Amino acid sequence: MIEFKNVYKTFKGKNDIHALNGVSLKIDDGLIYGVIGYSGAGKSTLVRIINQLENCSSGEVLIDGIDQSNLSGKQLRESRQKIGMIFQHFNLMWSRTVFENIEFPLEIAKVKKSERIKIVNELIAMVGLNGREFSYPSELSGGQKQRIGIARALANNPKILLCDEATSALDPETTDSILQLLQSINQKMNITIVMITHQMEVVQKICHKIAVMSDGKVVEVNTVKELFENPKHDVTKRFTQNLDGNVKIEQIKKELKDIYPFGQLLKLTFTGNTSSRPILAETIRQCKLDVSIVNSNITHSIEGPIGAMYVNMANGDATSYQQFIDMLKNEGVSVEIL
Amino acid sequence: MIQFLERIDIEALINAVNETLYMTSISFVFSIFIGLFIGVLLYLTSSDGLYSNKIINKIMDMIINVLRAIPFAILIIILFDLATLLTGSMLGATAALPALIIAASPVYARMCVIAFIEVDKGTIEASKSMGSSNFEIIFKVLIPEASVALVSSASVLAISLISYTAIAGVIGSGGLGNYAYLYGFSRGNNAVLYTSTFLIVVIVFVVQFVSDYVIKKIDKR
Repeated sequence: MIEFKNVYKTFKGKNDIHALNGVSLKIDDGLIYGVIGYSGAGKSTLVRIINQLENCSSGEVLIDGIDQSNLSGKQLRESRQKIGMIFQHFNLMWSRTVFENIEFPLEIAKVKKSERIKIVNELIAMVGLNGREFSYPSELSGGQKQRIGIARALANNPKILLCDEATSALDPETTDSILQLLQSINQKMNITIVMITHQMEVVQKICHKIAVMSDGKVVEVNTVKELFENPKHDVTKRFTQNLDGNVKIEQIKKELKDIYPFGQLLKLTFTGNTSSRPILAETIRQCKLDVSIVNSNITHSIEGPIGAMYVNMANGDATSYQQFIDMLKNEGVSVEIL
Repeated sequence: MIQFLERIDIEALINAVNETLYMTSISFVFSIFIGLFIGVLLYLTSSDGLYSNKIINKIMDMIINVLRAIPFAILIIILFDLATLLTGSMLGATAALPALIIAASPVYARMCVIAFIEVDKGTIEASKSMGSSNFEIIFKVLIPEASVALVSSASVLAISLISYTAIAGVIGSGGLGNYAYLYGFSRGNNAVLYTSTFLIVVIVFVVQFVSDYVIKKIDKR
């Protein structure tokens, strides 16, 4: 378990920067734990304090009950070997091949050469880089580079994997494949993954729990589902609403009114507790209404589909509209009449 | 052509080439090691280095600046005393070595620092996060990752050293510079002057060629 106890971090300078202002947080073993916040919220500092790339100004950071800030140089280096880290810009060594890059942490841990070769080959197979062992990082794509980063981070069989904006430099498809890899690593190796990001769609896909950060504080901690259903803090609301795709709904409403004067615009919010059946299709079929989808932004999370959809009902009467709404509500979709 | 060649003492010429190569290579090896060592120290003690230390950094910085500010022709005269003490003679190729090394090391140290600064900070942070000691960071990350810049700086250094040996030669330490000045310029023998110049240019070209080849081999960026 990783535990922050009232952690403060101030970067001294001309103008002191208060990166963390009293963070207390518990991260249970085996979870994929998301930390989300806008830039400057302190999330990078938070994750760097876990492996002491930054030390805290006051407070404690405990890993399995051991305060990390009081370790000696040697103890700290040993502790770091059990905490893998991957980075936004991969931070690979250009002068080493894929194989040698993954071998690096094993050299640091003084693992024997024959053992190193065995472990590296296993890791290369696991992250799907077979055949690229002797390429140099510059010859690979961003996604492949991050796979090297992941393999390297896992080399010493860590208990914790820290991901610092690990997918922010990747395109959406590559992001998905990296997230899947992280998820399978979490399941297979039972590693605690702490991932920080400013992209809600990244954390919601695989995270069991999310901490929202703002101005150096953790303002809200909850499951993905709860954060979507009742976001409490303003920052959380902004993150969850961003998934609506910033629809200019007033404009659309006006335009639709011209075409369907008796129509009704609805916002359907899926918060993950719906079943995997095609709910919308079934409901439309039963109500026999003309329903058109105006805008939709549904993504998948570990708890099911999440997101919002705007639909327009037309050619029905008030009772059939109400019936449609009730049926959706019964399926666990929250419906807002616009 | 034959007349031209007849005016050159071949044996003296070969001897001069040997002396130039001797002075350049010995001073090159020493200045590379000393320069790299000082460069690493400068980098480590810099404000965001692994052993940040303002005082040591400033002192070393000043010494380097002073040494670099003194023109080589003057430095070698000043160091003649030291050379006499060390080698027992004021003339000869070996006598020029201390001056060459003292002049070249600070230059290479400065170039090393520039090379190290260009190493991606993220890579160093990553190796820290894997539990590397500072020693491992320097030898397994910093120097390999800076290798291209280190090699190209070394070639610049070698070429500077070749021209330094020519200056040292004029003052009397042998080598092609000495040969060109004494037998060429002073005696009005243009054949010697041009041949020596040509050979120096050839040596410089060889150094550049080797450096370009090595860089092409190691640069995987």
